[in-house]
Amino acid sequence: MTITTSIPRKTQDEPSPNLESILMLASGAALAGLGIWRRGWTGAALAGGGACLLYGAATGFRRPYQGRVRVAVTIVKDSEEIYSFLSNPGNWAPFLHAIELENRGAGRLSLRFGNPPGIDFESQIEITDHKPADYVAWASDHAMLSHRGVMRFKKAPGDRGTEVSVALEYNAPAGPVAHALAALVGWHPEQVVRESLRHLKQLLEAGEIPTTEGQPVGARGVKGAALRVLHREPPREAIPAPLRATGD
Amino acid sequence: MKALCWQGKNRVRIEQVDDPRIINDRDAIVRVTRTAICGSDLHLFDGYIPTMEPGDILGHEFMGEVVEVGPEVRKLKRGDRVVMPFTIACGQCYYCKNDLWSACDNTNPNAWMMEKMYGFSGSALFGYSHMMGGYAGGQAQFARVPFADVGPIKVPEGLPDDQVLFLSDIFPTGFMAAENCDIKPGQVVAVWGCGPVGQFAIRSAFLLGAERVIAIDRYAERLKMARAGGAEIINYQEVDDLVEELKWVTGGRGPDAVIDAVGLEAHGTGIMAFYDYSRQRMKVSFDRPMVLRQAIQACAKGGVVSIPGVYGGILDKLPFGSAFGKGLIFKMGQTHVHRYRQTLMEKIQAGAIDPSFVITHRLSLDDAPEAYFTFRDKQDQCIKVVLDPWQEARAA
Ligand SMILES: NC(=O)c1ccc[n+]([C@@H]2O[C@H](COP(=O)([O-])OP(=O)(O)OC[C@H]3O[C@@H](n4cnc5c(N)ncnc54)[C@H](O)[C@@H]3O)[C@@H](O)[C@H]2O)c1
Ligand SMILES: [Zn+2]
Ligand SMILES: [Zn+2]
Repeated sequence: MTITTSIPRKTQDEPSPNLESILMLASGAALAGLGIWRRGWTGAALAGGGACLLYGAATGFRRPYQGRVRVAVTIVKDSEEIYSFLSNPGNWAPFLHAIELENRGAGRLSLRFGNPPGIDFESQIEITDHKPADYVAWASDHAMLSHRGVMRFKKAPGDRGTEVSVALEYNAPAGPVAHALAALVGWHPEQVVRESLRHLKQLLEAGEIPTTEGQPVGARGVKGAALRVLHREPPREAIPAPLRATGD
Repeated sequence: MKALCWQGKNRVRIEQVDDPRIINDRDAIVRVTRTAICGSDLHLFDGYIPTMEPGDILGHEFMGEVVEVGPEVRKLKRGDRVVMPFTIACGQCYYCKNDLWSACDNTNPNAWMMEKMYGFSGSALFGYSHMMGGYAGGQAQFARVPFADVGPIKVPEGLPDDQVLFLSDIFPTGFMAAENCDIKPGQVVAVWGCGPVGQFAIRSAFLLGAERVIAIDRYAERLKMARAGGAEIINYQEVDDLVEELKWVTGGRGPDAVIDAVGLEAHGTGIMAFYDYSRQRMKVSFDRPMVLRQAIQACAKGGVVSIPGVYGGILDKLPFGSAFGKGLIFKMGQTHVHRYRQTLMEKIQAGAIDPSFVITHRLSLDDAPEAYFTFRDKQDQCIKVVLDPWQEARAA
């Protein structure tokens, strides 16, 4: 599916070194070092991540970044049921990954990126078009992240339920380095969409979002804690409130 | 509570950790009465499965008594005796509803990791790396069981732990391996590996009507147990060319179906084996697919290659031309344990099989760190270790 947008292409900024690239240089070297020391797949991943950061530091001066996200999941429910679940703002919080959405009425939403330092901002989203149980389209023009997208609901073949897809195009002033970093911790737009859709499916099908947060563990040590970051798991296993659907 | 924690390659130890608690509403907590060490745990112990974290509690074969249930649990209550399938399934997704439980869509909190490596994520497993979910395992005094209405198998009165424990994994795994062979009357099945999975594959093949089963390994005690199960045996170290030997004993046809119950840590000698070991040591590859190569080469035309043995990465030098030329069928994967719960429990109750035959070592959880070495290195004629988490350690 292609979506046309009229997001203006930002003119390329003059490259200039900034705090971002300096930070990247340091963390890139550290990661690559840890990776080489660790070896194996995790090691390779670490070293790879480190290399990306180093590369980013060398080349990634602040440059606008345009991206595209396309994620589809099939949910064993009919589109009316999914749509009506989504129509209740009270249902949103448990399945959204890394972001908060708030209903401001009259086809407007506000989006907040949780609390990652540096990208903590709030923006307005406007629902530009929708058809119940069929699609919702939106646009947002915030300086930190402008995006437009569409979520579609399509009957899946056989008795498999509904294909739910999100396609969106975005434009962010942050450089590729910030993108790499965001991806490392799961705040990349692609991950936000993918994990949110995954949680939506889990909630609707299985009735809960699976988690291991709060289970017992042995001594993690420094290495274990580092690996948890790499695995995008909270460094310390805290005990959260149970996650469950509220409005069905 | 006490739990066996992974601390790195060749390093597991008993640690004092918090007791597990209900996290989601459909969780239950069981007091573990029996748990076992599996050949799959050895892949973790040997450091071949990525995404382990120091401190992870191991164990995916366990059973126990329900001590607490979450507010949404309907089918279990305190005091029930249950065996846990090692695969965690939601019971509601397309795959669960189509009896493909280990392909469940909804139980892996770290599905993205598996997607990165394999394209898709299967169900989560207990105690088996973070890409498989990161759930704490059952080699502990207590365990948290998510989706408690879906997985746990209630144990009918009168059946001792040792007879039903293996419904968690190795019995259904061996059974599915044999079922995948699609055995017809008069057929011959060859089984590589006479570890616990191989032993159950052998017996299941007979239960499913195989005419002959040929078991392959190099340890006398394991071959002896295979023979006790009705198999003919080959010590692969005592024959020049295993593939030729198999042809020889099957009238030149080759076995109609072959089962690889060894997996990624196959032992071998010769140039190919040296090549595999070096690649693994250099971390170019996770897998030493020696057995799979032989099995493909040996299988009869139009036959089935059934693979319960675990593989992790990209396999090298597989004789795919041979597989294609003979029109082989490949079946494999994590066991759909839930699918076999009823059937196999009935077989145990009817006395068609007593799964405890495979146990050689009954120890306490405190002995587990040592038992990992004993089991892996095949010391003391060890074939299967079961652990009692509440028994005191053997006097040292
Ligand atoms: N598919 C599943 O869901 C599933 C479930 C449980 C176990 N498994 C896997 O099944 C495999 C076997 O498990 P196990 O508990 O029996 O382990 P095990 O380590 O006790 O047994 C492996 C056996 O293979 C033999 N072997 C090694 N190299 C051989 C060779 N070249 N030719 C013939 N035999 C050889 C060993 O001597 C040993 O007896 C493991 O890979 C395990 O991870 C898979
Ligand atoms: Zn196992
Ligand atoms: Zn499922």
